Amino acid sequence: MAFTEGFISELVGRKATVNEIPIGRVSDFLVNKPDDVFPRIDGLVIKTSQGLRFAPIDTVATIDPDGKTVALTMTPKEPAPPEESALFLIADLLDKQIVDVDGRKVVRINDLEIARAGDGLRVVAADVGVAGLLRRLGLKSFGKRFVPGIYRSIPRSMIAWDSVAPIRDANPTQVNLSVTESKLSRMHPSELAEIISDLSAREAAAVVSQLDDETAADAFEHLEPEKQRSLIEDIGTERAADIIEEMDADDAADLLAELDEEQQHELLSEMNEYTASELRALVKYAEDSAGGLMTTDYTWIYPHRTAEATIRKIREIAPTSEFIYYLYVVDKEDTLLGALSLRALLLADPAESIDTIMETDLVAIHPDMSSEDVAATIARYDLLAVPVVDQAGKMLGIVTVDDAIDAIMPEDMARKLPKFTARHRSHRVNAGIAN
Amino acid sequence: MPASPISDAAPPELPRRRSPWRSLLLVAAVLGPGFVTASAGNDVGGIATYSQAGAQFGYSIIWVLVPLAVALIVVQEMSMRMGAVTGKGLAALVRENFGVRISVLSMFVLFLINTLITSTEFAGIAAASEIFGISRYIAVPVALVVVFFFVLRFNNKIVERVFVTASLIYVTYIVSAILAKPDWHQVLHGTFVPTFEWHTAGWLAMVVGIIGTTISPYMQFFLQSAVVEKGSKPEDLPLARADVINGSILAIALAGFMIIASAATIWVTNQHGGHLNPQQAADFAVTLRPIAGQFAELIFAFGILNAGLFTATVLPLSTSYIVCEALGFEAAVDRKFSEAPVFFVLFAAGLIVGAAFVLTPHLPLLQMILFAQVLQGILLPAELVLMLIIINRKSVMGGHTNSPLANTIAWTTAIVIGLLSLVYVVGQFIPQLLGA
Repeated sequence: MAFTEGFISELVGRKATVNEIPIGRVSDFLVNKPDDVFPRIDGLVIKTSQGLRFAPIDTVATIDPDGKTVALTMTPKEPAPPEESALFLIADLLDKQIVDVDGRKVVRINDLEIARAGDGLRVVAADVGVAGLLRRLGLKSFGKRFVPGIYRSIPRSMIAWDSVAPIRDANPTQVNLSVTESKLSRMHPSELAEIISDLSAREAAAVVSQLDDETAADAFEHLEPEKQRSLIEDIGTERAADIIEEMDADDAADLLAELDEEQQHELLSEMNEYTASELRALVKYAEDSAGGLMTTDYTWIYPHRTAEATIRKIREIAPTSEFIYYLYVVDKEDTLLGALSLRALLLADPAESIDTIMETDLVAIHPDMSSEDVAATIARYDLLAVPVVDQAGKMLGIVTVDDAIDAIMPEDMARKLPKFTARHRSHRVNAGIAN
Repeated sequence: MPASPISDAAPPELPRRRSPWRSLLLVAAVLGPGFVTASAGNDVGGIATYSQAGAQFGYSIIWVLVPLAVALIVVQEMSMRMGAVTGKGLAALVRENFGVRISVLSMFVLFLINTLITSTEFAGIAAASEIFGISRYIAVPVALVVVFFFVLRFNNKIVERVFVTASLIYVTYIVSAILAKPDWHQVLHGTFVPTFEWHTAGWLAMVVGIIGTTISPYMQFFLQSAVVEKGSKPEDLPLARADVINGSILAIALAGFMIIASAATIWVTNQHGGHLNPQQAADFAVTLRPIAGQFAELIFAFGILNAGLFTATVLPLSTSYIVCEALGFEAAVDRKFSEAPVFFVLFAAGLIVGAAFVLTPHLPLLQMILFAQVLQGILLPAELVLMLIIINRKSVMGGHTNSPLANTIAWTTAIVIGLLSLVYVVGQFIPQLLGA
């Protein structure tokens, strides 16, 4: 009977034979395409008295399921230099840390489960539990025999390989292009941020290097300033600038404000001119003022368009806008003329012009207003956001209700909020995307 | 700036609370390895060992600290370099380089020894509270509750404050040593002229104990994790190296002053026909008389209490984090029990077993404290060998493997300490074997 499934700890160290003559022992497993969902094992590394030899998987005749040997059809060759993406299961994965994408935590691989599927042996799961440890310690049979009750009660902690994201010692300043569809991006940004906070500086940088700019930016928004700062240093100015460009303007400005001027300058000079000038303006404001809280990412419309044309326009820009529930009506000089809610727009007669349906009696604030007063204003008028204008009435940005709450909520209270609520809600959000 | 519309619907994110382990490491990293070393070496066990050394052997044992300073610098520099180059903790490196067996074994031993040291901290707390006239059966359970509370409400401010308080207490030893008017000629002689008292009972045990408490095995784990947490890089090595040297010298100097303070009071008195025979930790309060007079006992008790409470918090916490890091279990105080069961079990077990030990009636606390330090000295060579193998691997350290000089010193340290421990252990058993 051929080997159909098992753990690599049960295969490694086995005798390798050619024509029943032992030639060495199995020492490692080569995988050429580790980014496959369930990567295929392409060959065995055999430790012989002459050194390491390589046996391609098609020269493996039989793997004794319970026995102690692996029979090869031909003598293994000198190992060729492996492909660049190639991984060795023992050397590169076993005992190393991985991110469990579904369980959202960082764990260590105690053992790897492999199974025969389709055209070959594939890695199907990582064992991260006590059972795997005991197996590696050679205590499995001992446990089964002497303390079967306890042994059975040990939870099997297997993580299916499609939710395993290895943390590789990659060069953190480069985006690893081969993993553009990183499994990590399946996680909610706040959970990704939590993982990143749990890792050491080096590993955190390695994880960020596996993310595309947009995902990295979302995760960055949820990180503590200290962690943001150290990460920026580790991933380099160029990549950091790319990520900050993708962040919400207010978060990006907060981040920049935490850095020293030289670093700010370096980062801004790497960004495109439009974003850089926008951020330069935001960074000036004190963190606990309206200017510090505001984002420049609001949706503006022109007064002379019809409701119908505006709706069409909104449809175009909505996917890239942070906040579309209020639409701010401005003239060519950016002077705030009025505003209307998305609801008002949708209910309006399609032919009507914006300036006839917009609200002109507006609550607007100046950038130097304190965050407490901003929050009080938003609360008093039951707003989702309040526009920020300069002395001349020129539109500078908006402060949204969630940013205002964050700013005034005592840190203690924020901590006390049950975390599981956030988790449950984020699941629902994720499900929303999937559907 | 593009942002997915879905992100609006996401819950507003709250700043995540920094875990106590992280705060601890960060404060340690900011204060520098000197503080880590000084605080780890000068816990209850340290104070007891150095004081006992001075009381029993006077100034003639101080010289041990000189080669120990060199060894301490080399060992700490290695820990620091490994952290800065690999970005990983020592436990992780052991796991990745030696596999499950060695890793589980060393974590098991680390857990046992740290639990024993935790219990020496509780022994210190018990001794201190008895100076205040409070029974240990009340003080230790109260301390246990305080420690749990401490861990749950840990923050950088508290850690810093305790560190600083601790260092103030150490200053009293320096002042006390000077005010006791030691014979400086004898001090210098004892510092620079090695004397070996192989035949004096307890001398070898004392030397191994001094080594163990000065280069505590767990300190290397802690220091390396602090370096990793700080995010030091190979470029930062020169600066960090200077820091290590200063810190080690500071720690050794403090140890020296503790020995002098104790020698100048207890040992000198006995030389002149006195009969001070410290049987309990409290008896060492005498060493602080020159500075504090009748308040010596109170200051001593306060110092011990501070050191004991702090280390009893740090040690079980660090141990459970380090073990979980090596074995790959989830570790976080702000998780629910079901999310990190191994972590919580280890943490609680370390604390409770440590405290329970002290509450066992008729346990000779002082002997137990010294024994724990000797055990540390015995285990140190094994740890050094693991470190030396890892740090000489090009695949791990790249161009930052050990220099021949560092290798020579570190291997010599490992071998000398190994031999001393071996002689000590054999010496413990052979008379018994012969007697039987």
